[in-house]
Parts: sequence; C-alpha cells; structure tokens
Amino acid sequence: MSRLVFQKHKRSYFARKLACSLWLLLLCSSIGAWAQSAAPSARAPFSIRATHLLGFPNTKNNCNGDLTIEDDALRFEQGAKPEAEIKIASVQGVFLGSESKQVGGNLAKVGKAAAPYGGGRVVSLFAHKKYDSLTVEYADDDGGLHGAIFQLSKGKAESVRRELVARGASPGLHEDDSMEASTAEVSHEDK
Amino acid sequence: MKTSKAKLCVCLAAIMVVAAMPSRLSSETSPESPAAGSGSATQWSLQVDRIEPGEIELAHSFQVATYENLLTELNKTHQFMHVFREGDRKASDVPNLLILKTTVLRYARGSETRRAVTTFSGATKLSVRSQLVTREGKVVLDRTVSGNVRFFGSNLRATHNLARNIAKTIKESPSFGSEQPSETVTGQQTAGNSRGGL
Repeated sequence: MSRLVFQKHKRSYFARKLACSLWLLLLCSSIGAWAQSAAPSARAPFSIRATHLLGFPNTKNNCNGDLTIEDDALRFEQGAKPEAEIKIASVQGVFLGSESKQVGGNLAKVGKAAAPYGGGRVVSLFAHKKYDSLTVEYADDDGGLHGAIFQLSKGKAESVRRELVARGASPGLHEDDSMEASTAEVSHEDK
Repeated sequence: MKTSKAKLCVCLAAIMVVAAMPSRLSSETSPESPAAGSGSATQWSLQVDRIEPGEIELAHSFQVATYENLLTELNKTHQFMHVFREGDRKASDVPNLLILKTTVLRYARGSETRRAVTTFSGATKLSVRSQLVTREGKVVLDRTVSGNVRFFGSNLRATHNLARNIAKTIKESPSFGSEQPSETVTGQQTAGNSRGGL
C-alpha cells in the first residue's frame, strides 16, 4: 500500500517538474521571438546636419536642416518648420557623390569681385570646400519617381547610406558610379 | 466751384474707363491658354522619363537634378494638362499622353573653383537629346539642347539651365496647339550662360 502511494507521489512529482520545465522553455522561446521582432524598430534614431539641394517633398531648395532616420522614415527638419518625410520602404536607390564648392555665399562673391588687383581670385583659390552629395531616389504613393539631393560634410554620406540600407532601403543598381566620377574630377581639380 | 469739381471728377472717371477698356478688350479677345482645356485643340499630358546617361558617365546627382528641374520647368510652362513623373500609375488612364525621353550626349564636368579663379575655363557643359514620343512610339519632337554654367554657380546649376532650355524648346515648338502632333521637329537649341547660383 505504502509502495503504491510512494509511486503515485513520485509520478505526480515528475509530471509537475515536466510541466514546469515546459512552461519555462515556452517562456524563454517567446521572449526570444519577441526580442527578435522588436529589434529593428528599436534601432536608435540617426540624425545628421545636411543641406537640402532639391527634390524632398514640401522643403525649400538650398536650405539647411537635420536629416533624420527614425523607425521607417527619412525626415528633414528645418528648425521650427514642420518636418518633411518619406518612407524608407519607398526608397529605390541611394547614391553618393563628391563635390567641391566655393564657400562664403553671395556676400563673399561680391567681396571677391570688389577686391583690387585680382585679389578675389587668389581668395577663390583657397576658399573652396569638399562636400559629399547624397542622392535618394524614391517613389510616391502613385508610383511616380522622385529624386532628392542632399549635401553633407565630407565623409558623412556613407554613414547615411549604410543606415538607410540597414533599414530596408534599396542601395540602387549602379551604386558608387557617381563617387568614382566625382572623385576623378576632384583629383583633376587638385592638380 | 462745385460744378468744376464735379466736372473734374467726371473727366477723371472717363479717363479711367478709357484706360481700362483696351486691357479688358484684349483679355476678352486673347486666345485661351492651352492649359485651359477648352476649344478644339487636343490637350496633351506629358510624362517625364528619367534621364538616360547613355554611354556618358554622369553622376546620379546630375541625372536626378535634371529630372526634377525638368518637371518644375515644364509645369511652369502651363503647356500640358498634367505633367507626370516616370512610373506614375495615373498616367496610364490619360488619353493623350506624350513621353519625354532625355538622353545625355555630351558632358563636360567643370570646376567651380577654376571658374572663380580664371573666369574663362572650368565651365560645366551638358548636352542632351530630348525626344517627345507618343504612346505608339511616334517621335513628335527631336531636339538637341544644351545647358552650361560658365561664371557663377555650382556645377548643378547647369542642370537647371538645361531643364529651362528644354522647357523653352518644347513651348516654342510648333507641334503644340494643333489637333494632332503630326509634325516632327528636329533641330538644335543652344543654352545661354548661367549667372545665378544654385
């Protein structure tokens, strides 16, 4: 009799232990799955200072602002103005380039023109800066092709492209073509 | 005294009426713009295709800038009912659609610094072949258009000048305003220099 009771007790003990371990396994696997699914959306937002040259919706050309990649959107903010954004999924290509531009704007142009004995030309020789250009091709809701061009500090465009591609943007078929062409131009210019 | 004042007022009113009449008459008799959509002339819509670099190594920023500037400039002409982008699904429902195809022929990548230092060298020159094609593949307009930046402005300024010249060429083309764009125009349009800055 006592043997039977002991066997019953042992069996229930093992069943309880099995159920407990199964429950723990289920909990662990569900936590793992949740963490995996939550990982892409939990990426930290990426922000960088940029100049919008043209093409972004509801944004003035040649204006400075912050280019932000957050969740599934690429945003451009100009101070207090409402931000413009496109969905990263709509991006069809991200291309990089390099440009050398004169610095100082219109005021510097006037100053250089007014400088006597061709002094302005000498200033122009040194008053140029290299920039990266970031070209983003994207489609609107109707499937229409758009293109936006941003100007960033030298060496920053690559990080933006990497971030965009990591979040699902298509890098484009002919990536780095422009970079090669513009690099050739820059090296030619430096001679 | 009172009568002279009244006469003066009447005279002034008459002068104003006479001055206003010709402008009103001219606005009444002037032909309606093609974008107005009335009259017997067929209203065409336009789809702008992306720039084909051909065998030229043209930076993507230049291709995109030309494409975007073209859309802006063509919208400004009010020559077309709608100006669609490439891939726009709405374009498939439009009955009279022309497609603008642009292929790069020549490209000289200049340098803003060289332009600023020398003024006679470093010009950025862009030359393209612009074709207006119907859905059936019939070429309505075939032109070679150039856009340069010679003095002031960044290299991308050339794309703005090019787009403006293409829009001007299309606007001045005799094919538009007629019932059917039957006439094929072939020619060359050369751009002016840039003095602005992008």
